Amino acid sequence: MYSKHTLIGSIIRHLVVWLFIGFAVFPVLWIFSASINPTNNITAQQLIPRHITWDHYVELFTNPQHPYAIWLWNSIKIATITSLLTVALTALAAYAFSRFRFKGRRSGLLGLLLVQMFPQMLAMVAIYILLLNIGKIAPWMGLNTHPGLIMVYLGGAMGFNTWLMKGYFDTIPRSLEESAKVDGASQFQAFTRIILPLARPILATIFVLSFIGVYSEYILARVLLTDTHQFTLALGLNLFIHGQWGNRWGVFAAGALIGAIPFLIIFAVAQHLLVSGLTRGSVKE
Amino acid sequence: MKRTVVLIVALLMVTSLFLTVSASEAGKLVIWADETRAPILQEVGTAFQDTYGVPVEVQEIGFGDIRGQLATAAPAGEGPDIIIGAHDWLGELIQNGLIEPIVLPEAVKKEFDPVAIDAFSWGGQLYGLPYATECVALIYNKDLVPEVPATFEDLLTTAKGLTDQEAGEYGFLIQEPDPFHTFALFSAGGGYIFGNNPDGTLNPCDIGLDNAGAIAGATLLDQMVKDGIEVAGADYGMVTGLFNTGKLAMMIGGPWTLPDAQKGGINYGVAPIPAINGNAPKVFVGVQGFMVSAFSENKVLANLFIKDFLVNNDVMMKLYTAGGRPPAYLPTLQQVSGNADIQGFAASAANGYPMPKIPEMGSVWSAWSDALQLIVSQQAEPATVMGDAVGQIKALLKCE
Amino acid sequence: MKHVLQIVILGALDAIAIWVGTSLVVQAHYLMAVLLLIGAAGINYVYLSKRAYPMRYLLPGLIFLFSMVVYPIGYSFYISFTNLSTGHLLNKPQAIEQITGRFYTPSDAPSFSYEAFEDDTGDIALVLYGDDETLLYYQGVLTQIDPSDDRLVDEDGDGKPDRFLSYKVMTLPEIIKGLPTIEGLRIPYDEGTIRLDSLREFKLSSRRYSYNPATDMMRDLQTGTVYPNLEGFYTSDDGDELYPGFKIWMGLKNYLELILNPLVSGPFARVFGWTVIFAGLSVLTTFALGLFLAILLNDPYLKLRRFYRVLVIVPYALPAFISILIWHGLLTNMGLFNHVLLQLFHFSIPWLENAFWAKVSIILVNLWLGYPYMMIVSLGALQSIPGELYEAARVDGATWWQRFSKITLPLLLMPLAPLLIGSFAFNFNNFTLIWLLTEGGPPINARTVAQSTDILLSYAYRLAFQGARGNQFALAAAVSVVIFFIVATISAINFRLTGALEDLSKNV
Repeated sequence: MYSKHTLIGSIIRHLVVWLFIGFAVFPVLWIFSASINPTNNITAQQLIPRHITWDHYVELFTNPQHPYAIWLWNSIKIATITSLLTVALTALAAYAFSRFRFKGRRSGLLGLLLVQMFPQMLAMVAIYILLLNIGKIAPWMGLNTHPGLIMVYLGGAMGFNTWLMKGYFDTIPRSLEESAKVDGASQFQAFTRIILPLARPILATIFVLSFIGVYSEYILARVLLTDTHQFTLALGLNLFIHGQWGNRWGVFAAGALIGAIPFLIIFAVAQHLLVSGLTRGSVKE
Repeated sequence: MKRTVVLIVALLMVTSLFLTVSASEAGKLVIWADETRAPILQEVGTAFQDTYGVPVEVQEIGFGDIRGQLATAAPAGEGPDIIIGAHDWLGELIQNGLIEPIVLPEAVKKEFDPVAIDAFSWGGQLYGLPYATECVALIYNKDLVPEVPATFEDLLTTAKGLTDQEAGEYGFLIQEPDPFHTFALFSAGGGYIFGNNPDGTLNPCDIGLDNAGAIAGATLLDQMVKDGIEVAGADYGMVTGLFNTGKLAMMIGGPWTLPDAQKGGINYGVAPIPAINGNAPKVFVGVQGFMVSAFSENKVLANLFIKDFLVNNDVMMKLYTAGGRPPAYLPTLQQVSGNADIQGFAASAANGYPMPKIPEMGSVWSAWSDALQLIVSQQAEPATVMGDAVGQIKALLKCE
Repeated sequence: MKHVLQIVILGALDAIAIWVGTSLVVQAHYLMAVLLLIGAAGINYVYLSKRAYPMRYLLPGLIFLFSMVVYPIGYSFYISFTNLSTGHLLNKPQAIEQITGRFYTPSDAPSFSYEAFEDDTGDIALVLYGDDETLLYYQGVLTQIDPSDDRLVDEDGDGKPDRFLSYKVMTLPEIIKGLPTIEGLRIPYDEGTIRLDSLREFKLSSRRYSYNPATDMMRDLQTGTVYPNLEGFYTSDDGDELYPGFKIWMGLKNYLELILNPLVSGPFARVFGWTVIFAGLSVLTTFALGLFLAILLNDPYLKLRRFYRVLVIVPYALPAFISILIWHGLLTNMGLFNHVLLQLFHFSIPWLENAFWAKVSIILVNLWLGYPYMMIVSLGALQSIPGELYEAARVDGATWWQRFSKITLPLLLMPLAPLLIGSFAFNFNNFTLIWLLTEGGPPINARTVAQSTDILLSYAYRLAFQGARGNQFALAAAVSVVIFFIVATISAINFRLTGALEDLSKNV
C-alpha cells in the first residue's frame, strides 16, 4: 500500500506528523508546568513559572502518608494482570464466536455489545454489595482487595474487545485449522498453536487497550478500595485535589506525569507487535 | 534470560496480590478524614491506643466523597466510627439515619463557640463536635491596596483603577459562578436563603433570593461586569492564581486560600467586606467537626475519643495550624486571637449566616449558580433571572 | 494428558463449590447455595458434554460478565421501582431499629458509676452506684443491695470490691474488650432504662419511641403523638416526619415522573438532540484523525515512525480526568488560549462560557482524548489487509485515493463498524467529559435544569442529585434504564443498517 517517498513527500509527511504531535503533547507541557510551579495552580499563564520548584516531585516519593511508589506499583500490577486475563478470556470467546455455529450466536454477540451501553450510575452500589458478600466467604477477594477489583474489571473483558478479535480471527482462513486437524490436533490445540500466534497483533492491541483502561479507572476503584496502601494511582492522585478547597495541583501534576510513563513504555514495546503483520501474505487462497 | 525475568516479575505480582489483605476487627476505631487532617488524627489515635489499648485506624478519603461513601458503606456494616464533615451535611445525614447525637457534658459544650455548637445541633441535640469555623472575608494585597476601602462603592472605584485586562491585572474579583462567595452582595440588602418557620426551623418554600435586597445584589454584580471589574471564567483556581502572583489586588476568600498566598510571598491582609449601600453584608459561616456514625459498633469508645482526646488545646492547635481555620474551641481561639488573619475572619464572621443544613439546599445552589453565570456572561437581566431561579427551585422542591 | 488435566481442574472446582456451598448452608444462605450448585452443575455440563462445546470457550468470560455487568443492571432496574433517595436509604427494619433505639436522657438524669464483674464463662454482672442507692444486675435481674453486701468481697482492702461471688472484677482493659456486651445492656428500671452512657457511667434514660407492628405505626412515648407509615416516612398528622425514613416499593412512579413532570420532560428533546450530535461528531472526528494517523504512521518508509507513534499516543497515557481538567484550565475565559488571543489579536473567545463555543470545545477535547484509541485499533485492523490487494490495484493503475476508498476503507469498516457504533454508545453516555469540562453548562436560562451542553446522562445526574431534596437514586436508576433503551435501540438499528454483524467473508 505504500511506496517510496519523494523528498518533498517525505518532508511534508514529517511536518504533518509534527503538527499533530504538537496537538497531542501541548496540554502535557502544561501539566509539566504545573508540576514545577510552587503555587499549586493549573491555570497559570506562563509556561515556565517565575519560581521553579522540584519539591512536588520530591514529595511524591518521600511522603509516607501518600505512598506514591506503592500506588504506582499497585496500578501497574492490577492493570497487567487484568489485561493478561482479559486477553485470555476475550480470545477464548472470540474464537468461539468466529469458528463455531451455535444457537444464539448472533443474538449473543449483539447482546454482548448492547449490555455495555447501560449507564452504570448505580453499578457502584450493586458491585459494592456483591464484593461485600464475597468477602464474607473469601476475604482475600472481597472489598478492599486487589483480586476483588480485578474480578470486577474482568466483567468488562467481554465486550467490544471480543468483537474486535472475532473480526480479526475471521480473516484467518479456516484451512489452517483444517490441515492441523488432519494432522491429528484437537480443536483447542489448533486454537492455541495455530491461531493465537497468528493473532499476535490483535492480542497486543487488546492488551494495550485493556491496560490503559484499567490503569486510568477511578470510579470503581474509589468505591472498592479504602485503605491508602491499597490505592491505585488514579485514586491516590485524586486525594490531592479533593481536599476541601485547597487543591494541590503541583503534586497532582507531578504524579500524573510520572504515572504516564508505564503505559508509554508498554506501548513502545507493544507497537512492534501491533504492526507486525508478519504472517500476512503467507496464506494463499 | 528475558523469559525468566518476565516469569519472576509475574510471580511477584501474583503473590503480592494476596499479601495486601486487611481484616477488620471489632474493638477498633475507624476514622474517615481527608488528607489535611488525617495525619493529625493518626497521632491522636496513637495516643488513644496507648491509653486504652484500642487500635485506631484513620482512612483517608476525599472530603467531597465522605458523605457518599458513608451512605453506601455504613448501612452495609463497613462504615467508620467517626467522620470529619461540615455542618451543612447534618440534614442529609440525619434524614438518612447515618449519624447519631454525640454524648458531651454541658460543661464541655460551653467551652466552644456557641455559633459552632448551634450549627451542629438539630432538634435540640448535638450531632457533632465542632472544631473550626470558616467564613469568607475580603483578602487584599497590601502592596497594591494599602488601606481597606471604607465602603464597597469605594472598593469598586479602587478596583477599576487597578484593572487592566489586557495586561492580565485585576483590581477585585469574586469567583464565579459561586453563590457561596457572592452571598455577601445579596445579603447586604436583605436577601436570604430560607425563611424561618414559627418554631425556628427552616421553611424551604420561603426563599428570599428574589426579594428587593437580593435583586439589588444581583444588579450590583451585573454592574461590576459591565464596568470591566468582574470577568467571566474567574473560578477559584484563576482568582487565587492571580492573587498569589500579585496580579489581583483584592478578592473574597476564606482561610483556605492563605497558605498558597503565603507561598507566593504576598503581603496580604484580611478584613470584613465593606458595607454595601450602608449595610454590612452577611457571609456564610461553615463549621467543621467530628460526627459519630449511627452504624458504629464502638459508640462509647468513639464518644470517649471525641470527648477526652479531641477536646484538647494541643489537638485543636494542631488542627488549626494544618487548616488555617479559626478554631471553634474557645481556649485555642483565645490563644491565636493575636493573629491578624484570625482577627479579620472573626470580624467577618461576626456578621455570619450559618449555611442552611437541610438537603433542599442542593437545589438552591445549582439554580442560583446558573443565575450567576448568566449574569456574569451578560446573557440575562438580574431581576428576571433571579425570579426565574427562585421559580425553578420552588418547582423542583414541589412547593405550592 | 490433556484430558487428565481437564478432569483434575474440574474436580478441584467442584470441590471448592461444595466447600463454599456447605459453608453457605451453615450460614443459612440457602438461596445463594442453591444458585451456586446450579452454577456448578452447569459448569460441569459444559465441560463434560460434547454438545455444549462452544460454551467451554465462552463460560469464563460470561461468568464475569454476568456477575459484574448484568447483575448491576438488574440491580439498577430493581432500584428504579423503589424510592431510594435521601431519607429513604435504609430498609424498613433498619429504620425501625434506629428510631426505636433512640433514648432520651435529660441532663439531670440519675447516673451510676459502676464496677463490672466477669466469670469464667464470660457472663457479666454489674454493681451500679447511684446517689441514693446501689443496684446489682446479676443474671438478668436488677435488685437493690447494700454496698456492704457480703457477696462483694474486697480482697486487697482498697475499699473497692474485687470479687462478686465467683466473678472477678474487670479492669479497664477488660471492660473495653467487653464493651460490645456492656454497651448493649438495656436494664429496665423505674419506668426507664439504665444503659451505658460513657465509658465510666451508666445513666437512666427513657425510650423515645415504640413501634406497633400490627398497625405499622410509631408512637412518641413522651408526647403520645402517633406516626403512621406514609410512603417511607413515619409521619404525624401535622406533617412531622421521623428520621430516618426507609426504602419502599414505588412501582412505576419514577417512570411516570419522568414522563409527566414538565420540569423533567420539557427539555428532553433538546438534550437528546445534542447528545446524538455530540456522540456522532465525536465518532466521526476521532475516527478520521485516528485512521489518518494510523495510515501515516504505518508507512514503512517513514523514518522515526515508531518514535512518532509513542509521542502521538501520549494523550491516551494520562487518565482522562487529569487531561480534561487541564483543558478546562486552558479554555476557561481567563485561561491560556484567551490570554494568547488577547495579546496577539485583541479579542477572546468565550470557549466555555458561550453555548456554541462550549460545544466546539467539547468536540475538540473529545477529539484529543479519543483519537489515540481509534489510531490503535486502526493500526491493528490495517494489518489484516493483505498487501497483494494493493499490489494488484497498483498494477491496475489505481490512484492513492482509489486505493484508500475502494480497498482500505471498506475492508476496515467491516471489523471496525461495531467499534464505531460502540464508540457512539460510549460517547452517548460520556458523562465524565461533559461534567469535568463544562458541567453541562453554560446554562440556557434560569428556568430550566437542562443546560446547553448537557447530554442525557448529565442532565439526569443533575436532576437526581442536585434537584429537589437530596439525592434521588431511584430516579437516577429509572433514567439509566430509559437512556439504555434509547441508546441500545439506536445502536441495534445501526448494527442492522450497516450489516455490521454479518460475518466477514472468508475469502479476503
